Amino acid sequence: MAKDLITKYGCPPSGIPLSLLKEGDDYVFSPGGVTRMVFPLLKQIVGRKFITNPYWVSLNPIGPERVVVDGITLEHVALKSERMRGYGLVKEAIWNIIHGIKHEPASVAHLLWGDEYSDYTYYNRICAERILKLDAEQDFDLFYIHDFQQLPTGFMLHSLKPKVFRWHIPFNETTIPAEWKHFLLGYLDSYETVIVSSRKYLGALRRFGYRGKAYHIYPYIDPEIYKRPSRRQVEEFCEKFCIAGSDRVVLVVARLDPTKGQDRAIRAIARVAKEIPEVKLILVGNGSFSSSREGLGLSKASRWLSQLQKLTRDLKIEDRVIFTGHVNHNELEAAYARSDLTVLPSVREGFGLVVLESWLYKKPVIVSSNAGISELVVDGKNGMVFNPDNPVELADKIVELLKNSELAAKLGANGLETLRECHIGEGVRLESELLIKIVEGKD
Amino acid sequence: MDLDITLFYRVAYFVVIMVVTALVAKFAKLLIRRLFRAGMPLVATHAQQVVVIIVWIIGALFALELLGIRLDLLLLLIALVGIAAVIAAKDTLQNIASKYFSDVYVPYKVGDLIKVKNFSGRVIEINPISTILLTENEELISIPNAVFLREIIVNISPHAWKEIIIPMVISKEVDLPEFESEVLKSCNKLKMYFDERFPPIIAIKKRTGKSVELRLTLLVKEPSKKDAIVSEINERVNEIIERMKKRE
Repeated sequence: MAKDLITKYGCPPSGIPLSLLKEGDDYVFSPGGVTRMVFPLLKQIVGRKFITNPYWVSLNPIGPERVVVDGITLEHVALKSERMRGYGLVKEAIWNIIHGIKHEPASVAHLLWGDEYSDYTYYNRICAERILKLDAEQDFDLFYIHDFQQLPTGFMLHSLKPKVFRWHIPFNETTIPAEWKHFLLGYLDSYETVIVSSRKYLGALRRFGYRGKAYHIYPYIDPEIYKRPSRRQVEEFCEKFCIAGSDRVVLVVARLDPTKGQDRAIRAIARVAKEIPEVKLILVGNGSFSSSREGLGLSKASRWLSQLQKLTRDLKIEDRVIFTGHVNHNELEAAYARSDLTVLPSVREGFGLVVLESWLYKKPVIVSSNAGISELVVDGKNGMVFNPDNPVELADKIVELLKNSELAAKLGANGLETLRECHIGEGVRLESELLIKIVEGKD
Repeated sequence: MDLDITLFYRVAYFVVIMVVTALVAKFAKLLIRRLFRAGMPLVATHAQQVVVIIVWIIGALFALELLGIRLDLLLLLIALVGIAAVIAAKDTLQNIASKYFSDVYVPYKVGDLIKVKNFSGRVIEINPISTILLTENEELISIPNAVFLREIIVNISPHAWKEIIIPMVISKEVDLPEFESEVLKSCNKLKMYFDERFPPIIAIKKRTGKSVELRLTLLVKEPSKKDAIVSEINERVNEIIERMKKRE
C-alpha cells in the first residue's frame, strides 16, 4: 500500500502529507473515537508550540506507514489478517470485561492463555519497538499511551522516560473480575501516571489498588469544528431520513453496540409514542473500527442492528425509529439542530462526548447514570439522569421534556454553560500543565 | 624453490587447521545445544559463546605454530598474567561469578523482599559485585553476591514461591515480537501447570548493540512440579531460539 502511494504521490522520506491522501480510499483518518478527541488536542498543543514534533503510533491498516499533518507525524502499524483477527478478539473481550458485559470465552483466564492473546501482545510489542526506534532518533521527553488496547505497550517500553496512560473507557473496580486484578495492575503499575475521564473512575482506580500518580481530566470537544447548519442543510437531512416538520425528534448518537443501549431508547420510545404519537427516534451511527470491514472485521454491529430492527418490529414502532447509519459531519450538525432532545442510553460509557455536542446546540440531554459524564449532569438543572435499566423512567423524562418546552430550553442553555468545563481550551490547559509537571518531575 | 614449497605447505596447513577449527566450533555449538536442551537458555547461549571462543583460540594457536611462530613463551606469559589477575581480583571475580549464577539460579530479583543472614529488605539493585537491600528503616545494606551462593536466602515476596524466571538472550537480528509470540504460544500449551491469573510475561532486561536480554516470568500452581516445568519450558524456549536463529 505504502509503495503504491509513494509511486502515486512521490512521497518524501519524512512521510506522506495527509492532504495528498484520499479519505476512505488511501486512508481512513479517524479509525476510533479516541482519535476524535486526542487529535484536536494534539493539534492545539503543537499549534501553541507547547510541544514540537510529536509522533503518534497507532494501528491503521488502511494507509501508508507514515503520514504528516500539521506538524504531527502519524506512524501506522499494520497487522497481517490472522494477527488482526486474534488481536481483535482479545481487544473486544477485554473491552467487554471492563464494561462488565458477559464475555466469550467463558473464563477470563482462558482468554489470557489463548493463542489470540499472543497476537494482542504482538501488536503491543510492535508498537513498543516502533516507539523505541523513534525515541532513539528523536529523543522524546515523554510517552503518552492512549486506551486499554495499548496498555501493555508502556510495560514493554524499556526506558526510564516518563510513561503516562490515558484510560478512556469506564473504570469500575466492581465489574472487573477478581482474577484480572493482578494482570491489569501489573500493567498499570508500569506507568508513572494514569489519567481517567471522571472523578468517579479516579476513586475506582485507587480502590482497585493502583499506587502511582492518578488524575482525572474530563474529555473535551473543540466547538470550532461544529457549525450551525443552514436551514437548507437541515431540510435535506429531514428529507433524506423522512422526518416531517411536525415530528418530535429524539436523537441518539452512538455506534451500533449493545453497550450503547439503543434497545433501551427504543423501548422507551414505544411508551412515549402512546402519549406523543408524533415522536421519532433517530439512531445515528454504525459500527466501530472493530466491526468495520477495513478494520478488525468483527460482525458485532450488524448483529446488533438486526436485533434492534427486530425489536422495533416486535414493539410495532418501525415507523417511529430511523436508523441513519454513518452520517457525515454536516449531517450530524443537522441532526443536532433538528432534534428536540438527545438521549445517551449507554449501559456503560467512558464519558459521553455526544452530550457535549448536544449542549453545543443548546439541546437538552437525558443521560444514563452509568456514563462518566453523568457526574457533570445535575438532574433538572443542566440535563436529566436516568437508570439505563429502567426504560419507564427514561420514557417519563422524554415525555416531560417534549411537553415542557420551557424546561427543555433551560436545560439546553445550562448545558452550554457546563460545556465550558469540557472545552478543548480547558483540556489543553489541564493536559499541558500535567505533562509539564511530569516531564519536570514535579507531579 | 624448496623455500617456496615449504611456505606453500605451511599456508595450506594453516588454512586446513582454520577450516577444521570452524567445523569443530560448529560441532561444539551443536553438542552444547543438545547438552543444555533443558537448561536455562541464557546459560546455553553463554556456554556456546565461551566454548566457541576457546576452540578458536586453540585452533589459532595451532595454526600459528605451524607457521613457525614460537608460542611457548607467549603462553607462559599469558598464564602468569592470568594467575596474577585471578589472585589479585579473587573476591571480585568470585562476586561476579556468583552474580552470574545467582541471576540464573537463585530465586530473587530487583523488587523482591528477601532475608539473608540477619538482614532483610527489598532488593533495589543487583550489580556485578553486590546486591543492595533497602530496609524498612530506609537503610542500605550491601551484600556481596558470593554470599548468595553460600547462605540461605528467604524470599518473602508474595507469590515468590510460585515464580519461575527464565532468562533468555536473543540476537538483535531476531524479530522480537515474533519471538515473544512464539514463546507465549509455547507456554500456553502447558497452561494447566500455571496459575491462570498470571499469563506469561516477557520483559526486556537489557539491550546491547548485538543482543537483547529478556526475562520470561511464569507462576506455577504446584511447587513440587517446578523443576520439571522449568526444564520443559527451557527446552521449548531453546528450540524457538534455534528456529529463529535459522530464520535470520
